[in-house]
Amino acid sequence: MTTTAPPAPGWHRGVTGTRAGRTVARGVAIVGRSVAVFVPVFLVATFVTFALRSLSGLSPARIQLGESATPQAVAQVEAEWGLDRPFLVQYGDWFAGVLRGDLGTSWTNGADISTLIGLGLSVSLSIALFALLIGVVAGFALGTAAALRPATWLDRSVTGFVTVISVMPAFVVGILLVTVFAVGLGLFPSAGYAPAEQGIGPWLAHITLPALALSLDVVADVARQLRSSLIAAYRENYVTGALVRGLSPRRVFFTHVLRNGIGPALATLGLKFPALVGASVVTEWIFGLQGFGRFANDSAQTGDVPAVQGVLVVSIVLVVTFNLVVNLMLARVTPASQRGV
Amino acid sequence: MTAPSHRSTTGNTALAPAPAPAPGSATAPPALLVRDLRISDLAQDREIVHGVSFTLTPGRTVGIVGESGSGKTLTCRAALGILPDHFAVTGGSVEIAGTDVAGLTTRRWTALRGSTISAVFQDPASYLNPSIPVGAQLAEVVRVKLGLRRRAARAQAVELLRAVRLRDAEVVARQYPHELSGGMLQRVLIAAAVAAEPRVLIADEATTALDVTVQAEILDLLADLRERTGLALVVVSHDLAVVAQLCDEVLVMRQGEVVEQGPTRTVLHAPRHAYTRLLISEHESYGLEKFLTPKETAR
Amino acid sequence: MVRRVLALTSGRIAVAVLLVIALLALLGPLLAPQNPLAGSDNALATASGAHWLGTDYLGRDVLSRLLDGSRVSVLGSLEVAVTALVVGTLPGILSVYLGRTFEWVTLRLTDTLVALPFLLFAVAVIALLGNGLTQAMLVTGVLVSPLFYRVSRAATLAVARAPYVEAALISGASLGWTVRKHVWGKVLPPIAVALAQTVGTGFVIVSSLTFLGIGVQPPAPTWGGLLASDLGYLDQRPWGPLAPALLIMITVWACNLLADAIRDVYGQAGRALDNDRKARAHHLARTAPAPTGGAS
Repeated sequence: MTTTAPPAPGWHRGVTGTRAGRTVARGVAIVGRSVAVFVPVFLVATFVTFALRSLSGLSPARIQLGESATPQAVAQVEAEWGLDRPFLVQYGDWFAGVLRGDLGTSWTNGADISTLIGLGLSVSLSIALFALLIGVVAGFALGTAAALRPATWLDRSVTGFVTVISVMPAFVVGILLVTVFAVGLGLFPSAGYAPAEQGIGPWLAHITLPALALSLDVVADVARQLRSSLIAAYRENYVTGALVRGLSPRRVFFTHVLRNGIGPALATLGLKFPALVGASVVTEWIFGLQGFGRFANDSAQTGDVPAVQGVLVVSIVLVVTFNLVVNLMLARVTPASQRGV
Repeated sequence: MTAPSHRSTTGNTALAPAPAPAPGSATAPPALLVRDLRISDLAQDREIVHGVSFTLTPGRTVGIVGESGSGKTLTCRAALGILPDHFAVTGGSVEIAGTDVAGLTTRRWTALRGSTISAVFQDPASYLNPSIPVGAQLAEVVRVKLGLRRRAARAQAVELLRAVRLRDAEVVARQYPHELSGGMLQRVLIAAAVAAEPRVLIADEATTALDVTVQAEILDLLADLRERTGLALVVVSHDLAVVAQLCDEVLVMRQGEVVEQGPTRTVLHAPRHAYTRLLISEHESYGLEKFLTPKETAR
Repeated sequence: MVRRVLALTSGRIAVAVLLVIALLALLGPLLAPQNPLAGSDNALATASGAHWLGTDYLGRDVLSRLLDGSRVSVLGSLEVAVTALVVGTLPGILSVYLGRTFEWVTLRLTDTLVALPFLLFAVAVIALLGNGLTQAMLVTGVLVSPLFYRVSRAATLAVARAPYVEAALISGASLGWTVRKHVWGKVLPPIAVALAQTVGTGFVIVSSLTFLGIGVQPPAPTWGGLLASDLGYLDQRPWGPLAPALLIMITVWACNLLADAIRDVYGQAGRALDNDRKARAHHLARTAPAPTGGAS
């Protein structure tokens, strides 16, 4: 036990001061560690991403001049794009641009890639965040309901429902939703997007089905994870301890069980985010949305290498940022000792 | 087996001395009254505890001794209303400070626990929330049970930690359970249990996993609390030495049956049941004779 | 382990379903009643004696296309799983034994891979490296390999700290022998769970890619491609997507079921271990003679 801390002048001040200090220090440590992880991640990922072009043998000349271009013409176009320089010089140049937020220009139409991605991102992020919201709320409700009434019909039906939705890939759900709600019942538009500036109603109408399609996976994972960790937490002795001290079941659930049981579900969210970003490729295709995923798909199909590289860079940044947020939240609910290394 | 006397004088303001206990007084209801308590495993349709009875008045201590599986923990859990799933009281009654606990609602139980009856257990670390500093857990009890404000509750939490003779109470209050030793955790657990000034405290194997000196200190602390506040204690142990040190009355349980019951002296000196005699003979090498010899010489 | 998994009803169901799917992949093209590529005038027909599952927008027999397309999905998902297994497991086990540098490097690498949205990467790789599922599945396999790395590392860590392994090493057993003799048995069940899960993930990825029309040439039938072509004709054939969607879901479900079954078996072993520890702790804490632990 440590007795090194100086005697606190007034206990309240001492405690609140140190506790706040601790929280801040922990936050800084987490941001620091995340950045330490992020930097090599970013370097490796961008390098691999950039190396894709050399491996692919694709060239802007193919796109601009067609298959029958003369070698001289190809060489000239490639020189214009600076592709005749040594590989590492190109990488350094491109990477410097990435750090400034400049992802280069598209091979197909010469447009600025950062702008193009920015346009699609608002669509995709609207949907991804809405999906996350649905996933967290529904998953939380289902998981908690099942955990509070284990081995009852409620628990069994939640588990059954979760099993069914967990094996439905996003595009299958998407098709199902379009068939039922858009084509069948005509409740929602089957395709397209309306920015939030044009009104919250149309915006919600357009993003609900795609978000729902994306969210089921999150719902299933959060519900399953929360159920098992809450049930495990309820078996812990500290629950008995809190009850014996005369705390109400509601209080025991919120301050003791939930606090210890929510960690794994939060961690699951962090892992789910890359999948959400990836699945946007498919859902945006189904729902006819001009988002980030659609842009990725189109660029890949036309062989627009800088655009694909830009997409990958942005997705990595998104994923890492999201994980940082999740880690900060995790740090708030569980003390350092429990998170492990 | 006594702690240095100067320690018992430090900071006991948290626990106001109760009105003088009146052992044997016929008018006051007993703190805990267990009458022919029977507990069954509903899943296997089997009676596990076959009728336990005892009366506990303020300031007194009842000990329950027996091997594991003898039903002593189930008896305690029944008195606390926390029987495990599939277990239920199938006969007899439990009265806590005059209230029959049969058919109590969850709300009534919540009100009763902590402020009238409370408990501490073996493996104290597991009975505290690992994610919350111990001071905050104490303050939570004080806030909820005594209605103190956040700030006052925190101060009271530290007072409580002092009252269970923890040094550096302010520091301890800020620590997480995993940062404290077993003996300190048991003190914290006792502080949490008595925070709302209950009339009955059940100590279920509370000293079992602790080493001998710490065990002695904890027992001393319990005795001190009993003297100061008129707390009634139920001490459950497999260890006759613990019971001998603390208890006025002893129940010896085996396989759900009370095989012997009576004043501690009588049971230890003149055991009538073979099982009690076995327990005593087994404990001779563990220092029980220390309690027997002086009394025997006095006789 | 196989026998114990098959002892569970869920394990038997999962294995049976997966065997049927595997048979489809092997024999599907032979079983197909009609030429999966031959169109007819009878477009978008409903189910009938001639076309059990109806026809698509070019009048091609849906059942034949489903059967013919099963091979692509099964091979693709197996490729993902095997790649991930090979790439992830060995470094995972070795990370415990080969020192801190290796451990640090591999841990950071898995952090990197986890951060990459694999579907996006698969799309990019196929487009850039040429239109073939094989490369894309290899890349996807590498991207999902952190699961195997973590699982095998965790299991190995648990075993490596076990006293009997230490004892074996101290008494002069070689590293290779120790791994084979002591580590493998404990590491295998969680890896089997991960493998079953990854095959399921692989199915979803292959279906997603073929749904987008990526990785296979247009006339060739795939489960995902069938779904995509049905999507354009929902108003005429609203039940069209049902058969391919159900096939995909049942397969993924069977993979998850198998993973759960293995986990159940393995979990029981884990619980037994736990009980054993508790019993020992109890025994140490006890001085009175008592043959059985119980409700008290």
